Amino acid sequence: MTTGLLTTTVGSFPKPPYLQKARNAFASGKLSREELSELEQQATREVIALQEEIGLDILVDGEMARGDMVVFFAEHFAGMEVGGLVRSYGNRYYHKPVVKGPVRWQEPITVDLWRYAQSLTDKPVKGMLTGPYTMVEWSFLEGYDDFRQAVLEMARAVNYEALELDRAGAPFIQIDEPALSTRMEDIDLAIEAMAIATEGLTAKTATHICYGDFVSAYPRFLDMPVKQFDLEMANSSHDLVELLKTEGFPEDKEIAWGVVDVHSHEIESVDDVVAEIKRGLEVLPPERLYIDPDCGLKTRTWDESADKLRVIMEGVRKVRAELGIE
Amino acid sequence: MIATVVGSYPKVPNKPRPARLRLAINKFDRGDMTLEELDRVADEVTIEVLQEQVEAGLDFVTDGQIRWEDEQTYLARNLEGVSINGLIRWFDTNMYYRQPVIEEPLAWTKPSTVRDYTFATEHSSKPVKAVLTGPYTMARLSVDRHYNSVEALAGAFAEALNREAKALQDAGATFIQFNEPAILQAKDDYTTFVASCARVVDGLSAETGLYLYFGDVEGIYPQVLDLPFDLIGLDFVMGAKNEGLLHRTPFTKKLGLGIIDARNTRLEQPAAIAERIKTLGAGIDPDNIHVSPSAGLEFLPREVAQEKLRLLAEGVRQAEGVLV
Repeated sequence: MTTGLLTTTVGSFPKPPYLQKARNAFASGKLSREELSELEQQATREVIALQEEIGLDILVDGEMARGDMVVFFAEHFAGMEVGGLVRSYGNRYYHKPVVKGPVRWQEPITVDLWRYAQSLTDKPVKGMLTGPYTMVEWSFLEGYDDFRQAVLEMARAVNYEALELDRAGAPFIQIDEPALSTRMEDIDLAIEAMAIATEGLTAKTATHICYGDFVSAYPRFLDMPVKQFDLEMANSSHDLVELLKTEGFPEDKEIAWGVVDVHSHEIESVDDVVAEIKRGLEVLPPERLYIDPDCGLKTRTWDESADKLRVIMEGVRKVRAELGIE
Repeated sequence: MIATVVGSYPKVPNKPRPARLRLAINKFDRGDMTLEELDRVADEVTIEVLQEQVEAGLDFVTDGQIRWEDEQTYLARNLEGVSINGLIRWFDTNMYYRQPVIEEPLAWTKPSTVRDYTFATEHSSKPVKAVLTGPYTMARLSVDRHYNSVEALAGAFAEALNREAKALQDAGATFIQFNEPAILQAKDDYTTFVASCARVVDGLSAETGLYLYFGDVEGIYPQVLDLPFDLIGLDFVMGAKNEGLLHRTPFTKKLGLGIIDARNTRLEQPAAIAERIKTLGAGIDPDNIHVSPSAGLEFLPREVAQEKLRLLAEGVRQAEGVLV
């Protein structure tokens, strides 16, 4: 049994073209909810099979039912609505959600597909949630006068969903707060909200964060009440090593070290991956060092994703062999 | 008193109205539409957008920047020495722009916005203002591989944008506005900013405006009152401190009051708007006040943007009734 350098991914996988088509057909009323769900399950099977074939340790369901990470939850929380079209860039638009009134969790949102994914594999599958700060910050806010109150009530709603995943048996729950990176001055609020969102969980908790933000708010960021920081490195691991060497890193926390750049088409070499892993090992023991791509894979093609994961796995196997980890 | 906008307007409406421009660009990208056909759709959408602003009750409108991919690319792509790079977040918004990369000395060779401006004035029943992104913001949001200094790059952009502004002026523009959100995130660089401002308006006889949004002017106020613009627009939504600053040192230029939240759908009511205008505009000649949203309107769905402008205009008319 492996005892170190566990491998995982940040969360999303690319949607197969047939699923993308089906989502468009569903949006224009040409496909039923049941038909779409079947295809989401098919894609989930393919995502799980790919991760198993590559040999990753902690799997994800690949978020085959999700488009935008905020809209997906906004469609299910009471007090939220999916609003009008807003441009995100070029000719790309999305329906930006609106917080209309008191936000309340109503029913499990991610549990069925997580359970389905977990039923396909003996390996642990992570539960993936969007954090409360991001849910509010990336929505229009109409129903609250107070931003903070909206975030804290959102945190309770996220907590209900997290508890459902926990009860269903999810061994890992990752709650991401990408919106924080544009407003690090709100870190206290984000930490307070994360404490609510993770209350009562027995699962291991994680959050994905940009390297630069982690460093700029160091060591305050360590107060984020999660076990694992999943870092988008953006080729800066060298600086992180220096920081952790001088400032230290708590012994009860873990880092998932992003060793390949998901924003590039190029596939890294095994040697590059090995070098990155070794940098991580300078500051963390293998039991607390997880290895993954540096961000969600949904912007890559299926083949690029698979190639990047294979390179990661090959690098990890090499280092494990050197360290005598099996 | 003038009811106006800061610049952009949402390009596509929501159902049941068709998202014509979006569909046209998709078709064009697939090769199913010619550039001429796409241009015609963009013109028709510009007319719609002008009409919506007038219907809402505005006194001073823009072309909505309907053709602009983003506030950098549209001005940068016609300059020599620039290539356009990947997507990057625009300030702290959820909108992305393509980053200009400065590879060689910048050179202005032809206007980017003159035809849009002329078209808009021909199709608007209200006066149209010309809006450009300012040189400092252009410089800060670019990758500099040539000048190796923000100062030099901002100066080069100021030179190029000065040519653009003169071309607009030659085409009849009587009010030319520069949007400079970047300086509020980099106040330490104020000296560089001042130099780029002087250079960008050099030789202009048209009235000029400067809009500063996504923050407050604490630290550079009242110094901004010495800048060579006739009007300065401030953001009283994200720049909560601006109110206190104005209270402390009287505003001596025409004032742009950005008091409608351009980044949230929550609607402001006319009575409250009128009250804000009375408070913030106290002591300023009403003719010298331009009331607007806090920033461009592209962060909002189209229908919400128009409704906000309608309420804004109503608030302005109420305030006029009291102040006149």
